[in-house]
Amino acid sequence: MGEIRNIKLNRLPAITWYWLNMNEASVGANFSGAAVVNAEVPEGIRTREEEKNLFPEQPTGAGKAFTKAVEASAKSVQVYTAPAGTKADAPLRLQYSYQDGDRSVNAVDLVAEKNSELTVVMDFTAAPDASGSAAIQTKFSAGENAVLRLVQIVRVGQNFSFINDLGGKTGDNARVEVIHLVLSGKEVYQGYQIDLAGYKSSLKTDIAYQVAGEGHLDMNYFANHIAKKTECEINVNGVLRDKASKILRATIDLKRGAVGAVGNEKEDVLLMDEGVRNQTIPLILCTEEDVVGNHGATIGRLDESLMFYLESRGLNKEEIYEMMAKARIDATVRMIPDEKTKQEINEFLGGGLEDDED
Amino acid sequence: MAKEKTYVEDIDRSMYDFRNEEKDEFRIEEGLTPDIILEISKEKNDPEWMRDFRLKSLDIYNKKQVPDWGPSIEGLDMDNIVTYVRPNTKRMAKDWNDVPDEIKDTFERLGIPQAERKSLAGVGAQYDSELVYHNVKDEVAAQGVIYTDIESALRGEYADMIRSHFMKLVPPTDHKFAALHGAVWSGGSFVYVPKGVHVDIPLQSYFRLNAKGAGQFEHTLIIVDDDAYLHFIEGCSAPKYNVANLHAGCVELYVGKNSTLRYSTIENWSKNMYNLNTKRARVEEGGKVEWISGSFGSHVSYLYPMSILAGRGARAEFTGVTFAGRGQNLDTGCKMVHSAPDTSSYVSTRSISKDGGISTFRSSVVVNSQAKNSKSSVSCQSLMLDAESRSDTIPAMDIRTQQADIGHEAKIGRISDDAVFYLMSRGLSEEDARALIVSGFADNVGKELPLEYAVEMNNLIRLEMKGSIG
Repeated sequence: MGEIRNIKLNRLPAITWYWLNMNEASVGANFSGAAVVNAEVPEGIRTREEEKNLFPEQPTGAGKAFTKAVEASAKSVQVYTAPAGTKADAPLRLQYSYQDGDRSVNAVDLVAEKNSELTVVMDFTAAPDASGSAAIQTKFSAGENAVLRLVQIVRVGQNFSFINDLGGKTGDNARVEVIHLVLSGKEVYQGYQIDLAGYKSSLKTDIAYQVAGEGHLDMNYFANHIAKKTECEINVNGVLRDKASKILRATIDLKRGAVGAVGNEKEDVLLMDEGVRNQTIPLILCTEEDVVGNHGATIGRLDESLMFYLESRGLNKEEIYEMMAKARIDATVRMIPDEKTKQEINEFLGGGLEDDED
Repeated sequence: MAKEKTYVEDIDRSMYDFRNEEKDEFRIEEGLTPDIILEISKEKNDPEWMRDFRLKSLDIYNKKQVPDWGPSIEGLDMDNIVTYVRPNTKRMAKDWNDVPDEIKDTFERLGIPQAERKSLAGVGAQYDSELVYHNVKDEVAAQGVIYTDIESALRGEYADMIRSHFMKLVPPTDHKFAALHGAVWSGGSFVYVPKGVHVDIPLQSYFRLNAKGAGQFEHTLIIVDDDAYLHFIEGCSAPKYNVANLHAGCVELYVGKNSTLRYSTIENWSKNMYNLNTKRARVEEGGKVEWISGSFGSHVSYLYPMSILAGRGARAEFTGVTFAGRGQNLDTGCKMVHSAPDTSSYVSTRSISKDGGISTFRSSVVVNSQAKNSKSSVSCQSLMLDAESRSDTIPAMDIRTQQADIGHEAKIGRISDDAVFYLMSRGLSEEDARALIVSGFADNVGKELPLEYAVEMNNLIRLEMKGSIG
């Protein structure tokens, strides 16, 4: 077993007071080997293995220290390419099943060439009661007029820690849609840096999470508006229960030159139990005049008037909270552009949340 | 409208930017050493505990790191800063006629004596490191209100009260410049409002830093006892020099049960000033603190008034506007700490960036686990007036109880061309139209200020908007 090295990740693009303990995260990393991926590759999508990442300079949400750790540990990079003009008729499905004692790290590159359309579903699961940790770094390039839909689902169980890191860049008129679902995990770190470098390119992100037990979720999302008339929308819906904790760092950076750019971000967090802790730090950084940036957040319990209405319909408080918690996750699950995955997730969630499974 | 336009065009920055010949009576040598601290302490005739406190603070200062999360303060070299300058006056006056002519003239030009006559219950005027004038109206004093310089209070009847409150809210360990303040503080005001007393008209302290390359480190301590009310206004300005000046004041506010303290500031330091000020309030059960803050001056600002909601039902409001122009990097905002049930906080801020200026809104809302049924609402809006400038918002929320309702919204954008066009079609020049829109944008602060101060704030905005076209 190698030495555990402490690495800093998920650092805010603009840091703030240290006493808040929100600037970055720190994890012990000791990666070894790569997880076996079960890939369902649709017709027209090319796959290959590379020794080095195709986009070494592309920043990610986790940051440079994590990238170095991946480069040092991952022996190869799995590359999936949608050639120019290809519109795959089914999603590329990548299933990662982690084992007890796992320490694996994988690196993936996704290339959506000019005028292509690619949907990728990456599902991260672990054997029941497996403990361990794993990590994955995905980098992408969405070429001119390309559409890339990326669904990443984390459901590794309450004893397993996971790092899900993403970075990518858009070409002119490219559209990127990201769906992130975090359904279980002991400690989960995830996020992205997406550079909206192409004129009129856009990014839509829908994130849903439920964190239970003593689980911890640490997120760092960074939408980097570089080109003119770029757009981003980040919607986050979350549920915290038991003694769970979570931090969301979400940044919209409207860089000088991104004339006409629009960035919107919204988070709703439902706190279910008294022992939870929620940290949210939404940044808007701006060096361009002709832009619009908006952020909104609501955190806490359910609205009093909603509670009153639902109680008047015969539901008790606990039922209302469970119903609303499920609704928040379901709303994002419904957006998954793949019926098979949607069905699997619905089965995973069963009639309720993690706690109700057993 | 036409009349006001003419009035605005007459405004000149010389209102703030005049300087007097430096005829200070005593100026301590530049830098920070234990000997310098001991000399300040001797000059101030400190009690022993304060002398020891200063030395301990210096020790903490030397161990603390310069913050790396905010604007650069590389241009501030403490070895070149004079931490104590006593103006050429023998004692603090209670009559403007006893203030040396040149200093009196300074405050006359700033409109302080006139404001005292018209609309204030008491005035304190600090020039460099010393208060030169302090007075409170007889009828207010008759209510038992104490408004005096903090150094007299330190040795008089209120010595124990000062000792038990001084830098207890803002300990020197808080950050490097709180430690600096603890080491070299001088001047400032002490206010005590007894139980049940409502001070109907405001008190004001005005701080003027005239000395080149000097620092001002006044300490303001206000204790509002239970069921009382006070509005305190703070103003500050300085002439511009080509070397760095430093302001590292400290404000500590204690708000008793069911009391309200409104603390208003129009900050217009010169644009060579490093404004590293610390303000903090502790609010007891049912009490309320209201911060009204306009930040217009300084080269660099770090300013985040903190409200600690310590008693059940305590409330805090922060209403602020920051205007960052050329050469300015203003990092402002607030901190709210909910530590008791049923507490609430409300934050409304506006930031304006122009001519390469950088404004950052930085805040934190912390709701501790015992603060059940707490509510907080934060709204920050930023306006970019050109593409050379920068505007950032960095709001943090840390919520540790399920029983909380927390809302946050932030917006950033530019002046609508349609609005400018409409106003121009009504006969306004483009410059006036934009100035009017910016004034309206900052109205959240203006409407909370007494009329005279709201006018001053609008004048400052219009002054900053001069030449913003083309």
